[in-house]
Amino acid sequence: MDLLHNLSLGLGVALSFQNLLYALVGCMVGTLIGVLPGIGPVATIAMLLPITFHLPPTAALIMLAGIYYGAQYGGSTTSILVNLPGEASSVVTCLDGYQMARNGRAGAALSISALGSFFAGTVGTIIIVIFAEPLTRMAQKFGPADYCSLMALGLVAAVVLASGSVLKAIAMVFLGLLFGLVGTDVNTGAQRFTFDIPELSDGIDFAPIAMGLFGIAEIVVNLERRMSRSGAIKVTSLWPTRDEARRAWPAVVRGTALGSILGVLPGGGPTLGAFSAYTLEKKLSKTPQIFGKGAVEGVAAPEAANNAAAQTSFIPMLTLGIPSNAVMALMVGAMIIQGIQPGPEVMTKKPDLFWGMIASMWIGNLMLVIINLPMIGMWVKLLTVPYRFLAPAILLFCCIGAYSLQNSTFHVVQVAIFGVLGYIFVRLGCEGAPFLLGLVLGPQMEEYFRRAMLLSRGDPMVFIQRPISLGLLIATAILLVLMALPSIKKAREEAFQEEG
Amino acid sequence: MSRLLSKDFLSGVMFIAFGLTALWFGRHLAMGTTVRMGPGYVPHMLAYIMMALGGIIVVVALLTPGEITEAPKWKPITMVTIGIVCFALLFESAGLIPALIVLILIASLGGDEFKLTEVLLNMVVLAILCIIVFKVGLSMNISVIRGVW
Repeated sequence: MDLLHNLSLGLGVALSFQNLLYALVGCMVGTLIGVLPGIGPVATIAMLLPITFHLPPTAALIMLAGIYYGAQYGGSTTSILVNLPGEASSVVTCLDGYQMARNGRAGAALSISALGSFFAGTVGTIIIVIFAEPLTRMAQKFGPADYCSLMALGLVAAVVLASGSVLKAIAMVFLGLLFGLVGTDVNTGAQRFTFDIPELSDGIDFAPIAMGLFGIAEIVVNLERRMSRSGAIKVTSLWPTRDEARRAWPAVVRGTALGSILGVLPGGGPTLGAFSAYTLEKKLSKTPQIFGKGAVEGVAAPEAANNAAAQTSFIPMLTLGIPSNAVMALMVGAMIIQGIQPGPEVMTKKPDLFWGMIASMWIGNLMLVIINLPMIGMWVKLLTVPYRFLAPAILLFCCIGAYSLQNSTFHVVQVAIFGVLGYIFVRLGCEGAPFLLGLVLGPQMEEYFRRAMLLSRGDPMVFIQRPISLGLLIATAILLVLMALPSIKKAREEAFQEEG
Repeated sequence: MSRLLSKDFLSGVMFIAFGLTALWFGRHLAMGTTVRMGPGYVPHMLAYIMMALGGIIVVVALLTPGEITEAPKWKPITMVTIGIVCFALLFESAGLIPALIVLILIASLGGDEFKLTEVLLNMVVLAILCIIVFKVGLSMNISVIRGVW
């Protein structure tokens, strides 16, 4: 059995003392930052990128994955206890989670969310194990032209499902692609947009951009809006009542199924999963009127869905090298910094890293449940620390982190510059996620594009002559046309209205 | 007039500006041919596409009513930026502690509540934490105060 062999290989790697420790540290630090109000997983991962750089690749990725789950878990905690979602995917959790907390059921909401997430994470991991190999084998048949088209599809799909204006999001992708070009041209050695700054000749470092765009900009926005605290809620018993458990588990199962499917889609990921799961529960419920007033299903389903989706969104990243959302773009960036080019080769060339990371995902999920439920009291305390203490502290750690990347203050200045840029993006309603996707895929896409054109002797028809590439391009075109259709545009806008 | 201040109009202008900047700074990059692309081929292509998109966004923004850009509050963003830049300037020349003090002070001024005792307390706690974590724990090669430790 290949599957079992792979799993045991992965578990062997993940269960080594060192990797267990990094997974644990990742989960803890991720939760620590993620639990801070107003800071979501993307900002958390961006800010914590530097601490993983000096680790060996496998350990670094295991730790990053741990940070991701931890941040998400922390986000649910803040949503439930203080009604401040860190990011879009936990907005839904606020709706009923905070109401449950106000009804004195905070503990139950937290444990349902944690256990539901764990179940979903387990299922998600199994799905990755099953699908990773066939998908990888398929991807190995891809030529440069096919890859280029696949990336185009990935980028467009990510944009379509991202919120806000499609046009602006596409422009953001191009801006990201443009920033990705900075540095030495691989083929000719020419310096592009380096302004004679030696530090830029290897390209703009990914980490300062991510830290500035997501970390700093988020802190500034939080500083602007006066953080009104509705007062953290006391957590009493963690145990859900029998009735609550009975209502929660079918919702968890449905949420997991929906989340797993939506997570694989480019641009899908946790947010879409959580919203769809909530809507589905409300439709299926015999008592839709209790939704928004503390319905157990309204916490269980979206929490399961966002965790399942968080898990399965690793599939396109690990097998094809295509990140489907901002978090995955950060992961790709981290892999590239570690010298690993994400794509189908990872599984064949570095099976220990690949399967080790997958096995550690499950372990990370398990750790979160075991560690965090008992530690909930500590996280609640942390929630009461005022933002005026936290903001300077976070800034300080960002600065030291950025410096530690290459012991250079230039990186710290870059963080400041991209912080300003990120702030402008926020003010102008431009999404940072498409920019990041473009930035990460840019260099590769140019490489594939140039190689494809070279192989075809400059004939752009190559993109439509190869069947795989043609299919992918048609899918891209269909997506774009669908977006322009008035009826779909309207439905989409309504969906985002509800979210906002 | 108000449409000139809408989020969409301004972001369209931003994209066009980025495109123009890229064209200007990439003007010496050789285009090459479609078979053997020079270093300038893709940058030029991207810049033109981005300007075109920016143009469409601008036109659409002028024709349809859109959301007005909120007036930014200057204090937080300016203070945070100045704080980080000061940190960068001081970190190597003066050491961790001076850089930390300046960053915390400036960043705290960016918030809407400023109590000196709290800020001082914050500095002390963070300084101790940083020394323990980065200097002692991770034994990073940084000077706590330049020339002293």
